[in-house]
Amino acid sequence: MRIVRYNYPSYRSVVPSRSPWSGLEGEIDRLFNSALGDFAGSFAPDRFPVDLYEDQENTYVRAELPGIDRADLGVELVDGTLNIRATRKTSVGEKEESFTLNRSVRVPDAAVNTEKISAAYENGVLTVTLPKREEAKPRKVTVAVN
Amino acid sequence: MSLLTSLVPSFTRSAAPVAREGAPVVKPVYDLAETDEGYALTAQLPGVSKDGLELTAETGAITITGRRTWKQPEAWATLYRESTDAAYELVLTHDNAVDIDKIHAELRDGVLRVALPKAEAVKPRKIQVG
Repeated sequence: MRIVRYNYPSYRSVVPSRSPWSGLEGEIDRLFNSALGDFAGSFAPDRFPVDLYEDQENTYVRAELPGIDRADLGVELVDGTLNIRATRKTSVGEKEESFTLNRSVRVPDAAVNTEKISAAYENGVLTVTLPKREEAKPRKVTVAVN
Repeated sequence: MSLLTSLVPSFTRSAAPVAREGAPVVKPVYDLAETDEGYALTAQLPGVSKDGLELTAETGAITITGRRTWKQPEAWATLYRESTDAAYELVLTHDNAVDIDKIHAELRDGVLRVALPKAEAVKPRKIQVG
């Protein structure tokens, strides 16, 4: 897979530590946060987190892309790679800035029914539904035992 | 053990970033801009709808809490995960320079925009020299 892990700005806060040193670690974090100031917040702004799920019928790709116009969202499936492209436009006063975010996810081409891919964007989260082909669905065969 | 905890204070201290309810939280990506009239706060809260958002303005601090509305359906098996289910929490302290009665907030597509007007007393004033 061609995906590189995305790290949340304060990853330690997601995983509560039970070590007796967690208090000390917290202090060190705080020290770094106050010393680095805004630098600590500027983590890879051109990346966004992607989740993959599946059930019996579909494979789902969920991407957190807050504040993007639906017209600036592009989802493409090319040769087994799902490309998600999003352009974020921000206007500061009269200046308008825009930058494009890109992420590719490898999907098994043979297993996806390419005709029926759908995508929804809600609360800043893009969900792409990739239906599985009939052949790729798990099949249950009951064998009679004599 | 009590001697040890009294000698090493960090043993008794709880981990700093855990929220009040005990669940872990993440600090959202945010941006704060200042104008003459006030401050413009932009926070990225993907997955949060209006129902899950709480904005509390107290004297001295503004707290934003956002819970994700989407829950993973039971039939969905996780293949790969980068996001978290943790709620967002952002606490911004201020020196009462914000007029908390006139705060205006708007949530659209997972982006929260808050206008924090400055209190009259701290706005720059031109004084005519006679």
